[in-house]
Amino acid sequence: MSLLEVKAVNRILTDNNGQRVPVLNNINFDVEPGEFVSLIGPSGCGKTTLLRLISGLDQPESGTVKVNDKLVTKPDVSRGYVFQHGSLFPWFSIRDNISAGLRVTQGRHFDQALVDQYIDLMGLKGFESAFPHQVSGGMAQRAALARSIIMHPELLLLDEPMGALDAFTRADIQNVIYRVWQQTKTTMILVTHDIDEAVYLSNRIIVMTPRPGQIKEIVTNPLPYPRQRTSDEFLKFRQQIQDKLNFGAKDQVAAS
Amino acid sequence: MQSSVKQERQLIQQHERERNYWKKWSIGWNVFSVLTIALAYLENALVPTQETVDNRYYHWFLGAYIAYLIIVYVIGQVTHGGVRSYSGHFAQLNSSIGILLIIQDLITEKFALMALPFFVSFAQILQQIHEDAKLLWESTLSSLGLWAVSFVVGTLLGVFLGLFMGRYRQFNYWAFPYLKVIGIIPAAAWMPLTMVIFPTSYMAEVFLIAFSVWFPVAFMTIGGVQGISKDYFESAKTLGFSEFQIVRKIVIPGALPSIFIGVFTAMGLSFTMLVISEMIGAKVGLGWYINWAKGVGNYTQVYAAIAIMALLFSVIFAVINKVEARLLRWRDAGR
Ligand SMILES: Nc1ncnc2c1ncn2[C@@H]1O[C@H](COP(=O)(O)OP(=O)(O)O)[C@@H](O)[C@H]1O
Ligand SMILES: [Mg+2]
Repeated sequence: MSLLEVKAVNRILTDNNGQRVPVLNNINFDVEPGEFVSLIGPSGCGKTTLLRLISGLDQPESGTVKVNDKLVTKPDVSRGYVFQHGSLFPWFSIRDNISAGLRVTQGRHFDQALVDQYIDLMGLKGFESAFPHQVSGGMAQRAALARSIIMHPELLLLDEPMGALDAFTRADIQNVIYRVWQQTKTTMILVTHDIDEAVYLSNRIIVMTPRPGQIKEIVTNPLPYPRQRTSDEFLKFRQQIQDKLNFGAKDQVAAS
Repeated sequence: MQSSVKQERQLIQQHERERNYWKKWSIGWNVFSVLTIALAYLENALVPTQETVDNRYYHWFLGAYIAYLIIVYVIGQVTHGGVRSYSGHFAQLNSSIGILLIIQDLITEKFALMALPFFVSFAQILQQIHEDAKLLWESTLSSLGLWAVSFVVGTLLGVFLGLFMGRYRQFNYWAFPYLKVIGIIPAAAWMPLTMVIFPTSYMAEVFLIAFSVWFPVAFMTIGGVQGISKDYFESAKTLGFSEFQIVRKIVIPGALPSIFIGVFTAMGLSFTMLVISEMIGAKVGLGWYINWAKGVGNYTQVYAAIAIMALLFSVIFAVINKVEARLLRWRDAGR
């Protein structure tokens, strides 16, 4: 049984002029436990919309999203969600942000050692008592990751967590995500418009078309882990994905 | 890394200090400010007096002032912390206070250029404060107590209603129109009614002061809650927060900056209501003291109470300011 089953999902939203526009059109795919799947497509094609449906933050107009064969109707701790801009709580220190979920679900006597472990893992030692506005964007994003991963979700949804970062920091966070995925075997779905990132990390890449968002193709990544970003195979496969994305919308894709 | 965070925080603090206390450290101004206060002392001691006044307390005051200035300037000279920035920044202002003290002393006590008994010298006021020390102290405590109780009641009510109205649309729909109409009424308008409705005048006073407070606080709280980015609520939901935990850990801290704007607005109104209600109904308090002094025609006492109010309300303001800075230290210092 698949962990996640997305079946015949449609999402229709109302735009500023009151027009009803289809944003997602007949989306179907499954994700197996332990898999790393990337959703890739041009900006505005509905990636965030789809991820929100999977998390339960929104409901589809038709179709079903099931996790472990159960219909998703609302957000849950078992499905972690890392927002594009992190959205750390600015009034909590880095440490309190990371432990926020533990505190509310386990109460006062939550596992402090686990928090320390994740602070270490994310390279945030020394910044525990800093507030989010006092740390760099990369650190904030790592803390946001830690905040979700520490809850040991069975499914982690990542919405362009590297989108707002510079190239060096982005590579750094990609490695952090890779390490965490290897260690915890958490199933992950990553939204990105960065082809490199998708090829570097995922087992499978779901390529989407522009509005209304549809799945163009689901491509299995044949490269073994750990991957070399500069190897010939990597570059070849990267080109393959690039070609699939370039159907008359070249410039949009190159945004990354 | 631990130390780099500390260093950075110290740097931020220093930056903030330099922004708030931007006047440069200047020994010339420091000396000048001490000289002006010393001159005020000499002027008062040497020029013959036209009022009947015991200048001792004024001299003590000036002496203490000079001692204070010398101490902070010496500390500022040998250290490089907050004392230096603060005392250096205000040296020029202190000089102006010295000059103002001289002017007021000359036109009142020395040459009686303004009509007695309505305009009295600062020395006279200090003497009055000393004479009435016990009564004034009791009045101050009584006013402070009444204010604190009423302000807390009004603020809690305002925050509570504001949180509910900001968070729950249904509650907002049913409550806000009514509360808006009630809240816009000036508290003072209720005064005649409160006198007869409430069993004790103390309760009437608490009602009036709390009434002047709750609405600005509630109003700003609503705005604060509604202004919180929905990202935080959504993150909270995916992290397993219950509704109660969302209110406690997202809604309240997120609305706190706005709540404090409401609190500062309400503070001025509450001081006004405090004095008015004490003047009308009370048998204690600084408002009552002023009213009583007016009755017996002792305007020096009126000034004495006003001076103490200025001090008391400034201290309250400073304390709430500190509480705000502490609770909102998570905010970006640049904002
Ligand atoms: N709340 C909304 N109301 C109306 N339109 C929306 C809303 N959210 C997103 N959209 C539209 O849906 C489309 C898909 O958005 P989104 O899922 O954010 O795209 P992506 O994440 O792939 O960049 C966009 O064209 C966007 O304008
Ligand atoms: Mg998006």
